Amino acid sequence: MKVLLVEDNERVTQFVIKGLQEAGHTVDHAPNGRDGMFLAASEPYDVIIMDRMLPGEIDGLAIIEALRKSGKRTPILILSALSEVDERIRGLRAGGDDYLTKPFAFGELLARIDALTRRAQGEGAQTRLEVADLRVDLLTRKVTRGDRNLVLQPREFKLLEYLMRHADQVVTRTMLLENVWDYHFDPQTNVVDVHISKLRQKIDADFERPLLRTVRNAGYTLTSHD
Amino acid sequence: MKVLRSSAVTLAVGYIGLGLAALALFAAPLWYAWRVTIQDGRNEILQSDAQRLTEVFRREGPPGLVGYIDTRVGMQIAGERLLLLADAQMHPLAGNLAAWPASVPEVPGTDIVKLDLGHGQSDVAVVHSTLPGGYHLLVGRDTARLAPLEQRFWYALAGAVAILSVLGTIGGILIRRALMTRIHGIRQTVSAIIQGDLSHRLPTHHSGDELNTLSQTINGMLVQIEQLIHGIRNVSNSIAHDLRTPLAELRSRLEELSLTKPSSEQTFAEIDAAVADVDRVIRIFNALLRLAEIDSGLRRSGFVAVDMAEVAAAAVDFYQPAAELRGSVVALQSEAPAVIRGDPVMLAQALGNLIDNAVKYTPEGGTITVAVLRGVAGSIEITVADSGPGIPQAERAKAVERFYRGDASRGTPGVGLGLSLVDAVARLHGGKLSLDDNHPGLRARIVLTQDTPQVARTARASSEEGEFRHEPVYP
Repeated sequence: MKVLLVEDNERVTQFVIKGLQEAGHTVDHAPNGRDGMFLAASEPYDVIIMDRMLPGEIDGLAIIEALRKSGKRTPILILSALSEVDERIRGLRAGGDDYLTKPFAFGELLARIDALTRRAQGEGAQTRLEVADLRVDLLTRKVTRGDRNLVLQPREFKLLEYLMRHADQVVTRTMLLENVWDYHFDPQTNVVDVHISKLRQKIDADFERPLLRTVRNAGYTLTSHD
Repeated sequence: MKVLRSSAVTLAVGYIGLGLAALALFAAPLWYAWRVTIQDGRNEILQSDAQRLTEVFRREGPPGLVGYIDTRVGMQIAGERLLLLADAQMHPLAGNLAAWPASVPEVPGTDIVKLDLGHGQSDVAVVHSTLPGGYHLLVGRDTARLAPLEQRFWYALAGAVAILSVLGTIGGILIRRALMTRIHGIRQTVSAIIQGDLSHRLPTHHSGDELNTLSQTINGMLVQIEQLIHGIRNVSNSIAHDLRTPLAELRSRLEELSLTKPSSEQTFAEIDAAVADVDRVIRIFNALLRLAEIDSGLRRSGFVAVDMAEVAAAAVDFYQPAAELRGSVVALQSEAPAVIRGDPVMLAQALGNLIDNAVKYTPEGGTITVAVLRGVAGSIEITVADSGPGIPQAERAKAVERFYRGDASRGTPGVGLGLSLVDAVARLHGGKLSLDDNHPGLRARIVLTQDTPQVARTARASSEEGEFRHEPVYP
């Protein structure tokens, strides 16, 4: 996957490039708004990671707005030290697809750009989701594993649906909070873990092969691979 | 000139000016009325004199009048009256004037003319009558006789002006002195406050005048500022203290790593623990930034209609599994819809914090009750009650303070900002967090009203302006 990183801080740049390369991605780097604008407009990227505050005349939001106006649909993740709810809304309104505040954990960044590129490839109007022998029918809201019917609470269903849509990807606790519960704040305690373990009880407990796995220091993943 | 610029002097000068104007307005009509009355009276007297002489002339003829006039002139009351009888050719026949004055109009009537009466020109009021047979009669009176009276009037007026000016000046000086004494007191207090001692208060007394009211208002402001500063000091102390613990742990962890150089597996474990320490610090900072965001009141511009019953249902749903894990249960009582204008994210976080606290402190088998009720005038009351240890009466006020951690919270996770965040959100929505006894347990209650207090929106503009000047925080 080809990633453009527009970021002026050297430490952050080094940290992100190294991590992305280790994850098997190719990274181009622009240290200022002008170069970022040029690269983003001329090269094809799978995803752009954009800092908001950049040296020079052009800031991150201006680049995003310009790209969107010229019809570029490349997924953009905004990286910013501005954490206020209003700032987040401004970033998304400008055309960003996701917003991550600094300081961040690399696992969170990686999980989010994976989710963004997957989304860009198009999830389409799926009515059935499948991971190994676990099946979810989005129309009848029926969940089966193998030949067994699983009874899920509405919230558990939503959680499972999100995990299934992002199968084989790492999903962080923050992503779950934001997408399943629409909570854009830190609830301070490990409530998400409790929800996951409840879901795990229902979909994995009686089966030989666990599908819902914990990824250390990052989050969870629903996968049939080992 | 400091004295000239003093407000007391300006005031005194202004009052003196006003006093003089009032005096002039009062004296002018008086002066006019007096002049008219005197003149009319004098003319009447002259006219009746002329009449009497005319009658003497009719009764006794010219010789009789000549005798009459001679007698009167001879009585040495000359100067008082001017009397002159002349024939048709204006030759004087009798009287105390040597010749018929040329300045007297030929037409009979009452006039004021200039005459030389032996001591220079003076204004003389004259009545000129024609008698049968072509005789002319002149009766007159020197108006200078009234001059002393007029002079006295002017003296009195000048005296009044002088007294007014002197009293006004003295008054001005006295007012200025009194004002300066009080302002000096205020200035001394303010200087002391500028030096950093916020415990000073402006001198006040029970007069209830404007300056006193102002002083009392400023004192009220000082109390508020002192409390705020005190609060900020406490918070900075608490922040420093709360951050020191994870930082100390982090430091010793890293130092130990570099000293002992353990196996790589152990090193990785230690590094993970170090990252967790840093995350704890970041978490505290995030909570503080969130509080600052709420406190600034900026969020109020993004208020929308929020159904608190829905927010509560979602929050109960979210925390229920965590409660179940601890053997307790969260019950919800709500009157839907309970709509209020507010910030859905903040309200959810506030309610979440309350439920989270309740879940943490409720012992096994306990019940947490979340209630959303509609109150009077569109207000909404949200209560979260638990059966945990509660907070002692004496500590409840403190519990809302930042970084408060009660005895009961020892050993439980949290940064001690939860309740202050709830309180801040409640205040943002025109409400207040109150803590009561639930017998046993804690009952946290927020009453949200429809009318939220207004805040200065100008803060928003400045925050946008400063956006790109923020120093970013990097990992």
